[in-house]
Amino acid sequence: MVSDPILLFLIVTSVALLTLGTLTTRLPGTSGSFLTTMFCGLGALLCLPPLITRAETVVLTLPLGPPGLSLHFALDPLSLAFLILTFLIGTAIAAFQAAGTQVPRSDGIRTTAFSIGGTALALLAADGMVLTLGLATISASICPRAIAAPFMILAAVCLLTPPGYPPRFDAIRTAPADPLRAAATLILTVTAIATMLWPRSIKHSWTTDTLTAGLAVPLGSYLLLRLTADLSATAIQPWCGFIPLLGGCIVAAVQAWRAAAAPDIDTAANALIGRQSGLSTASIGLFLIARAADLPAAASFALNATFLAIIGSALAGTLTVLAAHAIGAGAGTFRLARLGGLIHLMPGTSAALSAGLLALSALPPGLGFFGMWLSFQSILSAPRTGGLISQLPLALLAASLALTAALATTASIRIAGIAILGRPRTPRGAGARETASTVRSILLTLAGASILAGILPNQILWLLAEPAAHDLLGTALPSAPAGSPGYTVLVIIALAALTTTGAMVLPKRARREAKIAGPWLDGFPPEIGLPFGEPSAQSAGAGFLPDLPRPRIPTRVRLPNLPPLPKISGPWLILIAFAVLLLAIGVSG
Amino acid sequence: MSIVLPFVAQVLHILLILAAAPTLAGVTGWLEARLNGQSGPPIPLPWRELIRLSRKTPAMLESTSAVSHVAPAIGFGVTLTAAILVPSFALFTTLSPVADVVVIVSLLALARATTALATLDSGGGRSGLRQQSASALAVIVEPAAMLSVLAVALMAGTLNLDSMIAQQREGMLMPAAASLIALIALGTILVTDTALPDDSLGGIELALALAAGWLRRLTWIDLIGGIFLPVGIASADSGPLAWLIGLGVWLVKLIAIVLALAALSALFGRIPRHSLPGVFGVAALLALLAVIMVLASAGMA
Repeated sequence: MVSDPILLFLIVTSVALLTLGTLTTRLPGTSGSFLTTMFCGLGALLCLPPLITRAETVVLTLPLGPPGLSLHFALDPLSLAFLILTFLIGTAIAAFQAAGTQVPRSDGIRTTAFSIGGTALALLAADGMVLTLGLATISASICPRAIAAPFMILAAVCLLTPPGYPPRFDAIRTAPADPLRAAATLILTVTAIATMLWPRSIKHSWTTDTLTAGLAVPLGSYLLLRLTADLSATAIQPWCGFIPLLGGCIVAAVQAWRAAAAPDIDTAANALIGRQSGLSTASIGLFLIARAADLPAAASFALNATFLAIIGSALAGTLTVLAAHAIGAGAGTFRLARLGGLIHLMPGTSAALSAGLLALSALPPGLGFFGMWLSFQSILSAPRTGGLISQLPLALLAASLALTAALATTASIRIAGIAILGRPRTPRGAGARETASTVRSILLTLAGASILAGILPNQILWLLAEPAAHDLLGTALPSAPAGSPGYTVLVIIALAALTTTGAMVLPKRARREAKIAGPWLDGFPPEIGLPFGEPSAQSAGAGFLPDLPRPRIPTRVRLPNLPPLPKISGPWLILIAFAVLLLAIGVSG
Repeated sequence: MSIVLPFVAQVLHILLILAAAPTLAGVTGWLEARLNGQSGPPIPLPWRELIRLSRKTPAMLESTSAVSHVAPAIGFGVTLTAAILVPSFALFTTLSPVADVVVIVSLLALARATTALATLDSGGGRSGLRQQSASALAVIVEPAAMLSVLAVALMAGTLNLDSMIAQQREGMLMPAAASLIALIALGTILVTDTALPDDSLGGIELALALAAGWLRRLTWIDLIGGIFLPVGIASADSGPLAWLIGLGVWLVKLIAIVLALAALSALFGRIPRHSLPGVFGVAALLALLAVIMVLASAGMA
């Protein structure tokens, strides 16, 4: 029972982080950040032995609180997977805070320590009280207006608790669950998560942004998995899964669109993380549908996709937000239209940002692509979950995946192409300075981890998701459909590397040294006083999205004379035909 | 023998597509001109263009980074990888187990992304504007392409392209209406897929970008031909005689599709750029309709 003392030490680490949060004003300089880094690193190391040895669930009861009520903690594979992510990301965030050029503010250190400690406490919770305590801490730290969210979660846990019992998870698991209560729990949980993660007003606060990406988004998915897939597993009906699926699809599409249209680099990065949150919620919905319909393969693929979306948000999301804020600090602005040419001025930070964007988009060999591929596999494995009405959400998920993949790719191209490539657009942008070497090394380590996770996704899933999936599904996770090697990322990378190397090496004999020319290459002379061309003539990041079709509705209807029919464009005609067809199929049964 | 024949077929397939892509571009240009009553450029013109460009001293903008130098090669390499995975004359070659349709469509998207980054790296005003509108179109085209192949994959129950083609050859992919709608959606993408390389490139980089464009078009033609016209396609282990038949049928299919494209272009003319979002929007909705029809038919089965 190696996990017993480890659980105790993990609880102590969480409490130490919370204590540190209360003492930040009394600690000198960066010592608060260093201590936070140290505690988080220790927490991550403590998580490793039970993760590698695939330790069984352990429970610890601490006789704290009012008589008759104790605090209950547990360490099971699901909480362990999220806990190691929390501590690893917490280490990176706290180290970034400590390594910054300016002395970190005490409120920033307090927010970081409270958030990490609160998240760890919520992940270790085995009853409603500890869970609410942890959630209240993180809510108060990064989203104070969502203070109702912890109480919604407490209400959800109480709904599942059998009468006469304290709100303990083990009591809930053993009691027969009511489908209606399970549905109410799901709605409450989704509402609480939406309240916590709802886009805030733009503050350009890197601490809040990174803590949301690295801690709050994974915690939201954990809550949904814990309360629906674990505690009310037997009572969840297939239709319950449609709620997170539909909500997740809509959030993913809206956030991906925002990412491709946002004027600021940090807002675009936050929107990409919002898309990850939507994708993980939609995947959980698909998982619930597939499990309720007794489709283990589809459920496994959906659960794998969920974990990849969470890892993407935690790892690549944190990296992207940190790099975006490092760029904002180095170039003096977050506005995309005022950035440019940073590949020459901030090469290390630019490379880290590019790695994060690759992982958040849906391009191979990024982590996001494998998540999308797994979701498609899940849809492919679940084509017979019911009639037409139950099939429509699957089609919506497919459409959402395809659309958000294209939007996320466009958003990534836009961020990298406008901010990193091209020429500086302003004199301040031309004077951007590379970040300090310690900050750069943190960013590049996260970038390396993101790329590695994209190249070895099956190994990452085996380490983090496999034990949790075994607990939730009772079977091992397949990473590929039966009789197929699946997505063989290494073969694809080898093939692409071979063909690219061939394209670079073979014509080398014919390759000549390029003539260097100014940007007036097209025959235009340089502007007077602008010998290097007009920098503001470059694309400023607008117009990367198509115009949305607008139906032309007549403004005034005259009853005596029939108005002329509105001129309907092609897509709207198809949409109407589509609706009529569905109605006809639905009516005919 | 069971390893050697698929390997030989794979190597032959790679050589064939490398040779066919520029030739097909030449044939397309010639056919379009002939159908419009003009004499037309010579068919080997793309080859001459490649040789001319590879000998030319390129001019690079001073503000460009290493991205502009490597992006055309990456774009070509990634497009070639996608083209290699789409079977031409034989199924079940060495790389067929990794020929996943989602990977193929995403590799083509990756190639587009590298081209876009090279364009934005040049820092030119005109090329940036062109890239903006290309990205706006890609937001509609890429979901359409993904949903079209997904509709067929849902019918086949697999994402593996060779298995999908083999099932289509056996006539097992139903319903036919969804298949037809997916074909129309993919066909629309093929007809309008006329992306031109960035004019800020020059020399060998421009040659690679042009070759990548031709390969991309060939990949779409092979994908449509393989999924919707799987007639005569040989199995890699069936030997050289079957390959020869497969090769002949493949060439006929290529010419037939190119002829159809040229005829469409001559009949209706080129689609104006401002109308492209509407056309692609229709293709995307058709592809979604195909997915719904397949899912609905499976759900009712």
